[in-house]
Amino acid sequence: MLYKKYKRHVFRFAPVIIIGLLLTTLPTFTDLAIIGLFTKILIFALLVMSLDLLVGYTGLMAFGHAAFFGIGAYTTGILIKHYDILSFWLSAPAGVLMAVLAACIFGVIALRVSAIYFLLITLALGQLVFELANTSLGKLGALTGGSDGLGGIPYPEIGFSFSFSPNSFYYFTWVTFIICALLLYWITKSPFGYSLQGIRESEVRARALGYNTWLYRYIAFIIAGLFSGIAGVLYVHYNGFISPEGVGMGASGLLWLMLIIGGSGTLWGGFIGSGIILSLQYFISGFTPQRWPLILGVCFVGVIMSYRGGIMPQLNILWKRISHDGSP
Amino acid sequence: METVVINLLNGIAYGMVLFLIAAGLSVILGLMGIVHLAHGAIFIAGGFVGLTIVKGTGSFLLAVLVGAVTSGLVGLIIERGFLRLLHKQELEQVLVTFGFVYIIGNLILWIWGAWPRAAFVPSYFAGSIAIMGSYFPIHRFAVIAIGAAICLGLWWLQEKTRIGAIIRAGMDNAEMVSGLGINLTPINIGTFFLGSFIAGGGCVIGVQLFGSIAHNDGVNMLLTAIAVCIIGGVGSVQGALVGALLIGIIDNFGRVYFPVMAPWTMYLLLILVLMVRPSGLLGRKL
Repeated sequence: MLYKKYKRHVFRFAPVIIIGLLLTTLPTFTDLAIIGLFTKILIFALLVMSLDLLVGYTGLMAFGHAAFFGIGAYTTGILIKHYDILSFWLSAPAGVLMAVLAACIFGVIALRVSAIYFLLITLALGQLVFELANTSLGKLGALTGGSDGLGGIPYPEIGFSFSFSPNSFYYFTWVTFIICALLLYWITKSPFGYSLQGIRESEVRARALGYNTWLYRYIAFIIAGLFSGIAGVLYVHYNGFISPEGVGMGASGLLWLMLIIGGSGTLWGGFIGSGIILSLQYFISGFTPQRWPLILGVCFVGVIMSYRGGIMPQLNILWKRISHDGSP
Repeated sequence: METVVINLLNGIAYGMVLFLIAAGLSVILGLMGIVHLAHGAIFIAGGFVGLTIVKGTGSFLLAVLVGAVTSGLVGLIIERGFLRLLHKQELEQVLVTFGFVYIIGNLILWIWGAWPRAAFVPSYFAGSIAIMGSYFPIHRFAVIAIGAAICLGLWWLQEKTRIGAIIRAGMDNAEMVSGLGINLTPINIGTFFLGSFIAGGGCVIGVQLFGSIAHNDGVNMLLTAIAVCIIGGVGSVQGALVGALLIGIIDNFGRVYFPVMAPWTMYLLLILVLMVRPSGLLGRKL
């Protein structure tokens, strides 16, 4: 029977389809605050997934990933705010391009060293971007707004005399997220993606097989920069405001927490991690904003000490069990 | 000319404070392979405790001691309670220490509030000395002298004692050292405690250079200390000293002559050193 033949596939994709349907129909049954929250979750999910490409698949411990996000956001914001380039089709690619450019430069510097030193150097480079955004002096300060941040950025203008509402911007983000996530998925399942995993497992072996491991890592670094740039552009339109706090070490660390909670090396774990952390932040900051960093720190330590695998692998196992025992 | 001398002295004093933080960070990283991101927060915690003590008792010496011991104990708790359980898992160790950045920062905020604490200068370090027509405060000389003394002591410990030899050997090959029947655990504990101890004391001594400290200053200090470690080279007292003095002096001249560029001069130096010598100026091989 047809049903029996495709049962396994139906089961395999059932959770994806259900979550997809829920997210697609979300604006019909929730209020604006929740839609805003989910827009943010999708943006950060994309960001964490791009980090996962580096951490989980390539084995590069990048601790300055928010920098590319910030560069994308700031470039787009500055173009709109100070140069009156309002068209989304000009300002957004410019933001993404700057993020890619930064990744090209940072990659050359950071990939000179490996392992824990790579982490230190990406951290320092990320903080360089933070300082660039944070300085209030000179022409740069006038452009970025210094420590006050850059505000007043409207929803994107995509032409066709269409203007965004929170609902339609949510759909815009959702569609962008799907496209980027599928691209990332395709990259990780391509020969290139498997080569990255081979390099992660044993660089010496990959090199002996004739792979230019440096180039593979460099390209992965640039791809990750590209997707975080896209997330940055989306975020600056969503939030209307970007400040140095969104760029520095704290932001990069938060991405790491999302990644670890979701499970690194799973790609979709990024979505789960971002959803959990941002929902927690949304609800906890509601009644005790002062203690949120403390709770975040305890989450960090607790998750890493006790639950290092992340949620996504556990969900995978659980789902496999259900779909094999599968009642109907 | 006199401004150059004064700036040089300021730079050296700042460099000494940086050295007091970076020495611990560098040896912890070299010996145990742990990037101790909470080191900056530990530094600030020592400073806050010290300044509270000085306000209560008026004794600067006691404040330095109590601040240093507090920092040392916090470091010890992090090492014994958490990092020990994540042996050889570099990434997990980094992330745990990053969690403690939030925890310690927020606890300080909870206990002492969001207002910066003003620095304290003991009466015997008050006043200033005239150098070529301009005045340089005595307490900054004191910072330089104390920093130099600690540096000398650490150098002696590292290069001339048995413990130092074990530490150096542990950096090269910890398994081999253990295989020779030397227990590295007390060495690790001692390194962690001493590194945090010096950082905490250094904050109480050096805070006068910054004027005041706030609960979230730890991150900046940490990043500067990391830059010191990378530039000087990880794992040696000499490396930390060279890196700290270089950054201290360059940062000070940068602030005077290129105020716009000042926040990034450190990072430019960092990138330059990395391009030429990835292992740092006096670094061990990576």
